[in-house]
Amino acid sequence: MTIAPKAPRKLSMKDRYSALTRDLDWEPSYVSKEQIYPLTTFEGITIHDWSKWEDPFRLTVDAYTKYQAEKDKRLYAVLDGFAQSQGHLSLTDASYLNAMKLFIQGIAPNEYNAHRNFAMLARHLEGGGPRFAALCQCLDEMRHAQTEIHTLSNYNKYYGGFHNFSQQHDRVWYLSVPKSFFEDALSAGPFEWLIAIGFSFEYLLTNLLFVPFMSGASFNGDLPTMTFGFSAQSDESRHMTLGLEAIKFLLEQDEKNVPIVQYWLDKWFWRGYRLLALVAQMLDYMLPREFMSWKEAFELYFEEQMMKGLFEDLAYYGIRPPLHVDKAIQEKEHVSHQAYWILYQFSHAAAFTTSVPTAQHMDWLEEQYPETFPTYRKLWEKEQRNIDNGGRHFIRGLPQLCQVCQIPMGFTEADDPFVQAQRESIFEGERYNFCSDGCQYIFEHEPVKFRRAWLPVHQIYQGNCGGPTLPDVLNWYGLEPGDGGEYLGSIDHQNWLKWHGDPAHVENDHAPAAAGAEGGQ
Amino acid sequence: MQIELRTQVIEPRRKTFTHVSNRYGDRPASRYEEGTIDLQGSEHFQYKPLWAPDKEIYSPDFSELKLADPYSYMDPRQYYYTPYVSARADLHEAFGATLSYLDKRGMFDRLPEAWHGVLQNIVLPLRHYEGAAQMISAAAARYGWGTSITQCFSYASFDRIGNAQMLSRAGISLGGGTADPLAVAKTAWIEDPTWQGLRKHVELTLAEQDWGKAIVALDVTDRVIYQLLYTHLDDVAIGSGAGSYSLIAQHFSTWFVDQRKWFDALYKAWAADPEHGAANVETLSAVVSQTLATVAEALAPVMTAVDGLVDAGAVDALAATVDQTRSAYAALGVATEVAS
Ligand SMILES: [Fe+2]
Ligand SMILES: [Fe+2]
Ligand SMILES: [Zn+2]
Repeated sequence: MTIAPKAPRKLSMKDRYSALTRDLDWEPSYVSKEQIYPLTTFEGITIHDWSKWEDPFRLTVDAYTKYQAEKDKRLYAVLDGFAQSQGHLSLTDASYLNAMKLFIQGIAPNEYNAHRNFAMLARHLEGGGPRFAALCQCLDEMRHAQTEIHTLSNYNKYYGGFHNFSQQHDRVWYLSVPKSFFEDALSAGPFEWLIAIGFSFEYLLTNLLFVPFMSGASFNGDLPTMTFGFSAQSDESRHMTLGLEAIKFLLEQDEKNVPIVQYWLDKWFWRGYRLLALVAQMLDYMLPREFMSWKEAFELYFEEQMMKGLFEDLAYYGIRPPLHVDKAIQEKEHVSHQAYWILYQFSHAAAFTTSVPTAQHMDWLEEQYPETFPTYRKLWEKEQRNIDNGGRHFIRGLPQLCQVCQIPMGFTEADDPFVQAQRESIFEGERYNFCSDGCQYIFEHEPVKFRRAWLPVHQIYQGNCGGPTLPDVLNWYGLEPGDGGEYLGSIDHQNWLKWHGDPAHVENDHAPAAAGAEGGQ
Repeated sequence: MQIELRTQVIEPRRKTFTHVSNRYGDRPASRYEEGTIDLQGSEHFQYKPLWAPDKEIYSPDFSELKLADPYSYMDPRQYYYTPYVSARADLHEAFGATLSYLDKRGMFDRLPEAWHGVLQNIVLPLRHYEGAAQMISAAAARYGWGTSITQCFSYASFDRIGNAQMLSRAGISLGGGTADPLAVAKTAWIEDPTWQGLRKHVELTLAEQDWGKAIVALDVTDRVIYQLLYTHLDDVAIGSGAGSYSLIAQHFSTWFVDQRKWFDALYKAWAADPEHGAANVETLSAVVSQTLATVAEALAPVMTAVDGLVDAGAVDALAATVDQTRSAYAALGVATEVAS
């Protein structure tokens, strides 16, 4: 057999992709490598060979822009059509939008943060392959931030709670939960970011975060959000493969990386899980047409898919499931009820509204949580009696916040739902409070970082939030009438009734609670 | 009933978000405005960056170049994600069409020997330059202050890897489907004395910690390189029967026109800033002066190599381009010193 000598050796797909990305790098000789890549050593991670990074997808700029432009064309056509036809009127109820208010306040600014910090990775990772993958995600996350804002922009024109999301993300008490989560990651190095956001957030917890919002949208007539969700899905699958490649790469490069990565997994699982308390309560309480309970979502997307699938694979590298995962599992029947109860009592200081669940809704919750909901039902029924007597319950004082997750201390012991959990640590003579073992564990590893946290309640006490009285603070939050408080009788609720020209529209769906509204007014 | 419901006139409660109406009044806002204004967090940062404990996670202090209000600068192209990717989809589609035309007609084989040399020896090594430009732009996208600015740099970063990919694809075509020309060009970039001045300049720019100084140094260099290689040589190529060179070069000069639109507006904003304008001009003058001197020297052997291949008057064109660039900055109020 002869080999034709002149036939050009056409490039394989892999080699072509490599020529278009990683082959651009060269060894510097006029400055040191550390001068060009100053951030890849301080975290203690050892990388011996960046070329071992497996490109998780082989998308080039021409294909990326073409595909994304086509997706956006379809998405914006839906947004325009929905706005023109007053599509918001066919939502299940205006109260559904509380979920979307949380979304634009808590998530969109963090999509933006992800955009900015993937730019950091696109600058600082030492391999051309991972840098380009990070750069694609940098652009994707900008896409998500902007398409989310554009999707919800139309609701902002007609409903409260959306209008000041950006400033509120920087100021309002419950938004310090997602803000501190992401800023924790932004202030970390590039490798911790890869594990915190690239892996834990985008892979481990992504379904628990996005499926509730996107399916909630589809069950409640929110076509734009649902379309956004579908449109983001192919981006997300790239992000998931990037996260998975990142953790494998770090674990394979050096055994010494394993304990560092393990701590980050322990930390970011718990950080993420606490953040998801906001999603849990949304899923169980904010959707007029419910579709899945938090418990069910947690079992499917976390216990089944991650604990059984993923962590069995990671055991090969010497990685065990995150610490405190048992507490999260124990809490799954409680966390949404406790979180909503907290938000319910403080919603006068929030940019969303809350309400006692309707009798039908409580029946649904009882089906989902036969063991635990009867206890919480008693609480709501008592609250309903308060309302009937003219006393809707708002807490006028300020809660104590967990130093790490910044959620008001209202969670109970994972194994005893009647005892409120509280942990404390002393660091350099100061006392710090935590909602859980998980949060305390993180603080004790990084006390210098976490003692500096900007806790909204402390800041109010220190006079940094507009003034000493509640109205001062609410004004400083940029809240307008109707943004927060009780849903029934709110501006959104009244408009909804007016626009539907028939008060019966809401009363049919919400008979018991509507009766409660009269009592509350 | 349904139809009546849909046609009822519902007065919106507001026309846009509070942070946008605070700036422009309650008027309908564009998608660019809603997707840009005040998107970056600006207060109450929770933790100090482990990689810069003396600064905040977002801070104007990552560069000497500052704007009192970053949103006094807005991208004149009004690029948010969607128009950006649409425009680039068009650019890359046009480039792909050019390339497949050149491939199909065997144009790379028909290229005059000397112009083949220009592509191989002068243009292809610049894919490494574009790769570095991606990183320098990404630093500005991360460390800049204010979304209106960082957004431009994030797209520019993607543009540069896109440009590197266009160059690489041209190289693969030049090699008849192989990466051989890329390997040759890479060796030249790393070893050939012709390129060492530019490579040194690029490496020093990559090591610059002030994102603003780095990006300005890059931009000064871009102005000279793009003018010489994709405009000046393009003209020469057309006049000397190397149309294929021109077909490739046009896509880069088209891109650079777009780059100038938003970047020149940023220079204007820096220079005109009520609070930091004078300091900005001072920083700009220093960086531009130094970079022009460096670039004039670093590109001299490259232009000599061009003149060795084709009759392009490249060495003279380099001097003229450096002067033009100096005047362009002078027009922006940025005076430069001529190195003696
Ligand atoms: Fe995202
Ligand atoms: Fe993502
Ligand atoms: Zn906590």
